[in-house]
Amino acid sequence: MMYLPQRLVIEKEVGDSPLVKRILTTSPGIPVDWVDRVQEDTVSENGTVLEIVRFRGRFVKPCPGTRSYNCCGYQILNFGIQCNLGCTYCILQAYFPNSNLRLFANTTEMMQELGEHLLNSPKPVHRIGTGEFTDSLLLDPWTRMSEVLVPFFARQSKAVLELKTKTTNVDLLESLEHGGHTIVAWSLNPSEVIAKEETGAATLEERLGAAKRCQEWGYRVAFHFDPLLAYPGWQQGYQEVVDRLFSAVDPGGIAWISLGTLRFMPSLKTVIQQRYPNTSILDEEFIPGLDGKLRYFRDLRVEMYAYLNELLLGIQKDLCVYLCMESDDVWRQAFGFTPAERGGLSAMLDRRAFP
Amino acid sequence: MVEKESYSIQLEEVDWNDTSCLITYGPLPDKLILSIQTVGLIQKPLLQRKSNGLLRIICGSRRLAVCQQLGLDPLSCEVLSTSTSPVASLRMAIYDNIAQRGLNPVEKSLVLTKMAQHLDQPQLVQEFMPLLDLEPSDTLCGRYKKLPALEEPILDAIARGTLHERIGFVLSALEQGDRLAFFNFFAELPFSVSVQEELVETVVGIGGRDNLTPTQILDSEEVNDLRRAHKGPARQRAQQIRKQLQARRAPRLTARKERFAREARDLGLPSGVRLIPPPYFEGPKWSLEFTFVGDEGLAVRLRNVARLAEQARFQRIMESE
Repeated sequence: MMYLPQRLVIEKEVGDSPLVKRILTTSPGIPVDWVDRVQEDTVSENGTVLEIVRFRGRFVKPCPGTRSYNCCGYQILNFGIQCNLGCTYCILQAYFPNSNLRLFANTTEMMQELGEHLLNSPKPVHRIGTGEFTDSLLLDPWTRMSEVLVPFFARQSKAVLELKTKTTNVDLLESLEHGGHTIVAWSLNPSEVIAKEETGAATLEERLGAAKRCQEWGYRVAFHFDPLLAYPGWQQGYQEVVDRLFSAVDPGGIAWISLGTLRFMPSLKTVIQQRYPNTSILDEEFIPGLDGKLRYFRDLRVEMYAYLNELLLGIQKDLCVYLCMESDDVWRQAFGFTPAERGGLSAMLDRRAFP
Repeated sequence: MVEKESYSIQLEEVDWNDTSCLITYGPLPDKLILSIQTVGLIQKPLLQRKSNGLLRIICGSRRLAVCQQLGLDPLSCEVLSTSTSPVASLRMAIYDNIAQRGLNPVEKSLVLTKMAQHLDQPQLVQEFMPLLDLEPSDTLCGRYKKLPALEEPILDAIARGTLHERIGFVLSALEQGDRLAFFNFFAELPFSVSVQEELVETVVGIGGRDNLTPTQILDSEEVNDLRRAHKGPARQRAQQIRKQLQARRAPRLTARKERFAREARDLGLPSGVRLIPPPYFEGPKWSLEFTFVGDEGLAVRLRNVARLAEQARFQRIMESE
């Protein structure tokens, strides 16, 4: 799969940056518009434009969890925003109305801020991911960001990097010194869901094939059943995913598996209806959650989590399966315990990060 | 200044089919008919000579219609120079109307739709939406621009004020048959505007899930039984239908509510004590409401509730199936 946009818009100020040089080298022939400053209200062109700008905010941020639900304490390294895989449910459609991909070229500043953050933070372990506001590996063949990030994390004693993706862009990872400090993660869904709702992303088979390759190169892998989608026959669909997952990868090399049912800000509903009038992801009943997002009714969430958890632990008893943004009572009902009973969700995952 | 001259015109010279500057919508006001009948035409209509020799109405379409109805012909009118541009003519029509009265929502939609053919979106939004007492917003402008495509009975109801334009906005996203099905449904039963919006969303949601059109749902036996029932006031029937549709759209929440009601009843809470689940049964915070007289009344209720709280069925009530 190739996801490189058809046109580049680059701020002149970052023209000499290593990122811009790498992209211009790896993607010759793509038209470039050089501009003084990319405006916030540039014309949105359905993911066919890549804007490369100087980022003026904080690169490292806590994941935007809410107090009402258990958050995993993940931190975000923000190297870019947007995605052009075109998943119907994608929350980025509401976060960023402009659909142009955007990368931040001042990576030297980014790495400096990251280094200072790791040095000064009192947290015992840092789990840092780049896949919150974009897909971690979507543009990696051209940006070669993994060549910067993976060796950096290999040198850290208390930090791991999680690269979350729905692509198969893992080739560059093969030769990198990762020191066991990079976890490569895929979002998983049944093939019929991928075919309807994740049309631009790699197939299930391709994702699992890429995961297998990463395991062969010594990386630990992770999987996110997020969003879990309820549709007629979802039980069978997810059972097949689990079966195929464990026939492709070694369960012992899985750092963690998260579960999270579909949830979204109410404003996303209209966007989905307009962009994807034929999608059926809005058919299920939704209720407003404690964080204001629409989510499945609690009984269905508990049913789905309990079902997946049983399937997963039935194959490998000591897998670390966790719920993304759920309350204690849902944890207790679905899993039989709350995170607090195991030292808190953050600590559970920290132990998996550095076993 | 506008170049115009007074002429005596024959009504047969008027091109009644040219609606390019027509922004009035709705029945002819009785008082206008009475006025022209009694004292004649006080203010002259404004027209413009077209290349085919006919006259385009710029301002005064209703006055002209009344004159036609009353058989007043020929008429003294103002006729614009042919050099006046279409956008200038339309602008005159709009400003002439808003200077005299507030426009109804259909007329506002006509202003925005017709002006959109001449202006870019930012100018349209910034100049004309405040003029129409509307918040200058692209989204709202887009919604108004969809209204003129609605069917005449719906537009008539919006112009009369018996159907809110917000309902027109949501209906504009549907097929013609479904729009009219909702229109008839809302004309029959008293729902507030927000409930009408909710019902459109509910019915469209059921339809999407069950592969049915809104018309099929609104005409289904179970809805029709309630619609056609002669027992009880219309407001009560409206509530029953709303409840039925909500239950169909949200069967899990409805089942949970029913289970809760059953279990709360079986719990045998003392009188004056009410157990309230969290909204949508989401989250851990349940509430108890006490109604009592005096400290002894409170003490009795607290003792009774404390005994209940220790029972397993009190715990179960808070759990999923």
